[in-house]
Amino acid sequence: MSTDPYEVLGVKKGVSHDDLQKAYRRLAKKCHPDLNPGDKTAESKFKELSAAYALLDDPEKRAKYDSGEIDGSGTERPRQNYYRDYATSEQDHPYADNSGFADFMGSEDALSELLRRSARAQANRRGHDLEFRLPIKFIESIAGASKRLTLPDGNTLDVTIPPGIVAGQVLRLRGKGAPGLGKGGFGDALIEVEIMPDRLFSRERDDIYLEWPISLSEAVLGAKIKVPTPTGDVTMTVPKASNTGTTLRLKGKGAPKHGGGHGDQLVKLKVMLPKGPDPDLEAFVANWEKGKTYNPREGVAS
Amino acid sequence: MKISKQEFLIRSGLEHETLASWLEEQWLIPSDSSAEMSFSDIDIARARFIRDLQEIMGVNDEGVGVILHLVDQLYGVRRTLMTLQNVIKSPSD
Repeated sequence: MSTDPYEVLGVKKGVSHDDLQKAYRRLAKKCHPDLNPGDKTAESKFKELSAAYALLDDPEKRAKYDSGEIDGSGTERPRQNYYRDYATSEQDHPYADNSGFADFMGSEDALSELLRRSARAQANRRGHDLEFRLPIKFIESIAGASKRLTLPDGNTLDVTIPPGIVAGQVLRLRGKGAPGLGKGGFGDALIEVEIMPDRLFSRERDDIYLEWPISLSEAVLGAKIKVPTPTGDVTMTVPKASNTGTTLRLKGKGAPKHGGGHGDQLVKLKVMLPKGPDPDLEAFVANWEKGKTYNPREGVAS
Repeated sequence: MKISKQEFLIRSGLEHETLASWLEEQWLIPSDSSAEMSFSDIDIARARFIRDLQEIMGVNDEGVGVILHLVDQLYGVRRTLMTLQNVIKSPSD
């Protein structure tokens, strides 16, 4: 896609206002989305065209573009739905005109039988399913939550997030979609759940992963420390001689499993030294003979 | 969603007189079941389309009428085709 507005409109630099408008009109007639209901690319083409025209038609903006002060992007104006988005929908509207097909309807052939059958089916058609996306926090995805969605029409929808939901899972709320016709009843609301990444936790299948810092003393001497889980803090025993990378398992603190039970939370320890130089620590390590002879890189291919 | 005449004028950027003449021409057909006429999203989208025809493409009033008539038929045929497609896809009863 080109963002050179001159190229988009097929005109030369220094084009007059009249010629510019002529070029714009000629192209707009060809690619206006409402005149090209079957062409999915028409909308982006038309947008690009309108943006290019908006830029070049404004003498001030054009001068800025020519002198390189602004580029061709970012001038698109937001646009609400096109007429074609409504006119082809199955919902009835006053502009629906079937006269282009009327001569097919009268005859006794298979096509008109199909059309008559669908007309009968339409009389009691179920409402459409409505689709929504709902972003939730990671913690809510594990522990479950109640969320309230505000719909485009201003109504609200209460959604219960079951504990342990995975990203992309779709919740179906029966009868919360669009109204149907006749005895058709309401469609469903389909809610696709999007889980926002968490600062601390990540998830793999039913297990939850957490990297958690401990102090040097806790690593060497062992300790009982507080560790967060999506369902609240728990106390965890850090055994003596733990190390960076040591992974401890908190049984049953993971995500709820599909068939019952829970996964585990795996806590990967990370030993942290205090910030800044510490004379006591320096003195201690200087006197620690084994610390000098231990080579952690031994056996690691160089 | 129902939209009042006042809100429709604001959202579509039309003048009172323009709306009156479009209604006269039946380019727009709001529902007026009650005393007050009410508009919907499709009317706003259609109004924008008409403005695009006039302002961007330079179509005159006679042309707009012809285009709307043909476009309505085009969309009618597309809807019928979609319905047919659905009937063919769904199991017959």
